[in-house]
Amino acid sequence: MMAAGSSHHDLDRFGIIFRASPRQADAMIVAGTVTQKMAPVVRRVYDQMPEPRYVIAMGSCACSGGVFKTYHTVQGVDEFLPVDIYVPGCPPRPEALLEGFIRLQQKMMKEEMRWSRWR
Amino acid sequence: MPENRVESKGIVKEDIAYEPYTIAMGPQHPATHGVLKLNLELDGETVLKCTPHVGFLHRGVEKLAENLSYAQTLPLSDRLDYIASMANNVAYSIAVERLLGIEVPVRAKYIRTIVMEMARLTGHLLWLATHALDIGAMTVFLYCFRERENLLDMFEEIIGARLTTSYTCIGGVRQDITGHFLESLYAFTEDFPSKIAEYETLIDKNRIWLKRTQGVGIVTAEEAVSLGLTGPTLRGSGVDYDVRKHMPYDAYPYVDFEVPIGSKGDVYDRYRCRMEEMHQSNSIIRQCIEAMPPGPIRAEDAPDLVMPYGVQKEVAADATFSSGVIKLVKDRHRYMDGDVYVAAEVPKGELGFYFVSDGRGVPYRMHIRAPSFIHIAALSFLCKGQMVADVIAVIGSVDVVLGECDR
Amino acid sequence: MEPLEIAKKVRDRYPSEFIEAYEHRSQVGIVVKKDRIVEILRWLHDDPALQMNHLADLCGVDYLNKKKVRFEVVYNLYSIPQRHRLRVRAQVPENDCQINSVTEIWMGANWHERECFDLFGITFNNHPDLRRVLLPDEWEGHPLRKDYPLDGGGKRWSGYEEVVEKSKKLREYDFYGLYQDPTKKAGQKDARE
Repeated sequence: MMAAGSSHHDLDRFGIIFRASPRQADAMIVAGTVTQKMAPVVRRVYDQMPEPRYVIAMGSCACSGGVFKTYHTVQGVDEFLPVDIYVPGCPPRPEALLEGFIRLQQKMMKEEMRWSRWR
Repeated sequence: MPENRVESKGIVKEDIAYEPYTIAMGPQHPATHGVLKLNLELDGETVLKCTPHVGFLHRGVEKLAENLSYAQTLPLSDRLDYIASMANNVAYSIAVERLLGIEVPVRAKYIRTIVMEMARLTGHLLWLATHALDIGAMTVFLYCFRERENLLDMFEEIIGARLTTSYTCIGGVRQDITGHFLESLYAFTEDFPSKIAEYETLIDKNRIWLKRTQGVGIVTAEEAVSLGLTGPTLRGSGVDYDVRKHMPYDAYPYVDFEVPIGSKGDVYDRYRCRMEEMHQSNSIIRQCIEAMPPGPIRAEDAPDLVMPYGVQKEVAADATFSSGVIKLVKDRHRYMDGDVYVAAEVPKGELGFYFVSDGRGVPYRMHIRAPSFIHIAALSFLCKGQMVADVIAVIGSVDVVLGECDR
Repeated sequence: MEPLEIAKKVRDRYPSEFIEAYEHRSQVGIVVKKDRIVEILRWLHDDPALQMNHLADLCGVDYLNKKKVRFEVVYNLYSIPQRHRLRVRAQVPENDCQINSVTEIWMGANWHERECFDLFGITFNNHPDLRRVLLPDEWEGHPLRKDYPLDGGGKRWSGYEEVVEKSKKLREYDFYGLYQDPTKKAGQKDARE
């Protein structure tokens, strides 16, 4: 994720900029394993984002739990978040993440009247 | 009323405005390098008490390892310190080899030393990039990632993965390196010292950098040893402890390098230690390339994914010379009761593996001594009495990765 | 100093506490009783000939159905000035699952002991701040015990159950009355659910 944002791959050319605060964000990247202790925090960050909001699950662990089928790991972040784009790979290459972003942009262009007050 | 007043430096103040308050920093704060949460008890901007909370990435690697064979656990070691996973692979492999009593071929030792030092460079480059970004130098981030990408491309050339490499295997390395790889790496090492000088021109004499790092987060030598700090964080305080020198493994006994040591134990000294270490790593890589011997890259009888019990090849008694029949003997003599603790010097510090074996092909107990875990435990000591802005510098200087801390 | 010599010294000094010494792959360990563990470790730390000042590792091991005494707390000690290493294993029985804390000798033992308490349920007496460190406070059970299943036996943390319940409720909220999704035919269920 950091490599995708830095000099070699440069997310800025797609109009994607990392924001430090969820209040100003449009999309959230769930990068890496989500554990049961982390889940309430992830959900709160998601709730803090203004609508419309999107979620990218980055990496096998966020998509499905990956190799960690253990007592403390959430088996896929979609158990408690509506995920828009799944980017597989452990970890995904920067190009894969870029592809995910572009797919998300395409998805955004297509949809109409999707958002409610709650989700 | 006397209980409503506090006495500070001889001046009696109303304490209503000075009541300590608590803020929670993290776990999704960008400056905490992952999912670290700090509860800071503040008096104005001064930190009275800092309580780190970890465990947000606890995946149960140790429990999982008790259910997998030794070779199957190796990919999990990638996911500990995911920014320098080669170093974890090597650390895990040498621990298992010690437990099973496997001798590694010399060429594999040299290859491992090279990839370990490359991992140290990638780890230190990412540390410098994020540390400088936290303190307020954006350009260094872009410069460091330029070289880091070069190194990751070379990892990709030898194994096909950038980050989670799983390059080593028990008893050697998975694939041999190519001449092209050695040439491009040698060209990189020729160029790299000038790149380090480039970073240093940006920050080393920068007055803002010096003001924000010197005299911040001081830890003395005795305190650092008592806290269990290792790696550059310990050496910044002037303690000469490097696992590569104290308990040499792989090709480190054959190469010549120095261990840089600081004196004051502040953020700046730790920064200097890491910068010097990058020079030393560069020189180790060059020496290894020059001395690279030919030969096999894996021990013959090491256990692997397909044969978890370590197969010994034996010529069958009734085989003729021309038929070349060899008998595979299932050999479990390697697995015996016992325990070992073996450590390796990874970019963060001393990464140790403690294995208890009960004679089966899976570890009975694996404990990972993660340097980040101990460094985060030391944060409450290091941050006490600092300003909030300095907390960021201290977190950056002890160089933590939460994947390793929480396991 | 040779590690076996250190083991001998410990045996001579604390004969009542000492159980056995062993060597495996040229690493020496000693097994002791837990009652005077702080005294033994303080002596190892302070003695000028030994100077075991670096607590490399502290962890618990569960020997369920393997040994008479179920738990062991393992201290991996190293001396930075003298460059020798020793492993001390203190036996902790299941019915008396507690041991004295060594935080007064090594400050760094603090979190090691919390982790051991968290994952094995071994209580450390005189510890300044004995809470769970990796798992949430309300977690039930101690995962690294051998009788704990790998996937937690289907049990989940109560806080996580709350989050899942909440997100389910929010997804069920009927907002189709407010507008129509043009890509969806009437009466068809949302594919997301």
